Amino acid sequence: MNKHLQIHEIWVYLSGSPLLALILTLSAYQIGFVVYQKTNRLPIANPVAIAVILVASALEIIGMPYDKYFQGAQFVHFLLGTATVALAIPIYRGFRGLRGRMIPLVIALVCGAATSIISAVTVARYMGASDDIVGALIAKSVTAPIAMGVAERIHTSPTLTAVFAVITGIMGAVVARYVFDVLGMRVWWQRGFAIGLAAHGIGTSRAFSVHPEAGTYASLAMGLHGILGAVVIPLIASYILN
Amino acid sequence: MISGLVQILLWQGLGELISHEWLKTIPGPVIGLVLLLGFLIWRDRVPDAMGLVADGLSQHLGLLFVPAATGVILFLPQLREHALAVFTALVVSVIATVAVTVMVLRILSGNNPHE
Repeated sequence: MNKHLQIHEIWVYLSGSPLLALILTLSAYQIGFVVYQKTNRLPIANPVAIAVILVASALEIIGMPYDKYFQGAQFVHFLLGTATVALAIPIYRGFRGLRGRMIPLVIALVCGAATSIISAVTVARYMGASDDIVGALIAKSVTAPIAMGVAERIHTSPTLTAVFAVITGIMGAVVARYVFDVLGMRVWWQRGFAIGLAAHGIGTSRAFSVHPEAGTYASLAMGLHGILGAVVIPLIASYILN
Repeated sequence: MISGLVQILLWQGLGELISHEWLKTIPGPVIGLVLLLGFLIWRDRVPDAMGLVADGLSQHLGLLFVPAATGVILFLPQLREHALAVFTALVVSVIATVAVTVMVLRILSGNNPHE
């Protein structure tokens, strides 16, 4: 009885501090990352997807409401902004040695970004998705940390946007090579740029595992798409969502 | 490493300030990113400490959006109801985006499939 009481007290203390949420978040991600490496970086074994499923199940089991979890986990969440600023470094590295290709890359960027928004919104609308879902689809090809900031600006759910971004990344990493093969596209830098634009970070890590030049162009595409999306999406969102 | 983190946080702070005061539609960290990119291009090199922090952050970028993405549990009923629409929209969109981007690049760079 006494022992039971002690455990209960420890539990109350732990669940009231950010520690529990942080342990949950980090250990779930750690498990996800180990699985990802053990499967030779299979896109479908994405560490974020695994971590989200594990954390969500754990919250369900211990009966912790999401907002209470987030109060603790916000310390991890906060670093998103810092990580966004730090994207300048891979973009800068990508910039060097490609100056001659800048114009085709910028035009492809604009066309790809427009395709991503128009196709997702049109299909979702046509199939009768709710406004929340349509809104969250707009920024889904932009890298998740930037997409969530954009989602806040256009008054749509950052959570749904992040989830759609992760799913898009996984799908892009899985299907891109088949699309390239069907279209007969064999140039690494072009393949890399397309996958980084459509499938941001997850596509980029896939590109790096296939070919270094593809990876560099993928991270450049991801960064440029992030900047373009952050500037343009808030300006056109009200037109899309009206 | 700490000096790299301090520099990145300062660029973030400057970006947040500009976003708050003048460019309200653009998230502060993105403004910080653009300013830092301009700074790196001007200096033409990445300070070692900053490169170290950036590599650490980008390697495990995914960890940082786990807390927000877990919020999906609040949307499960809605997602279940529209599951087919969401899935189709995402698949069609990602295939179309990849295809359009790569074809535009190929057309603009001279149609040579074996460059």
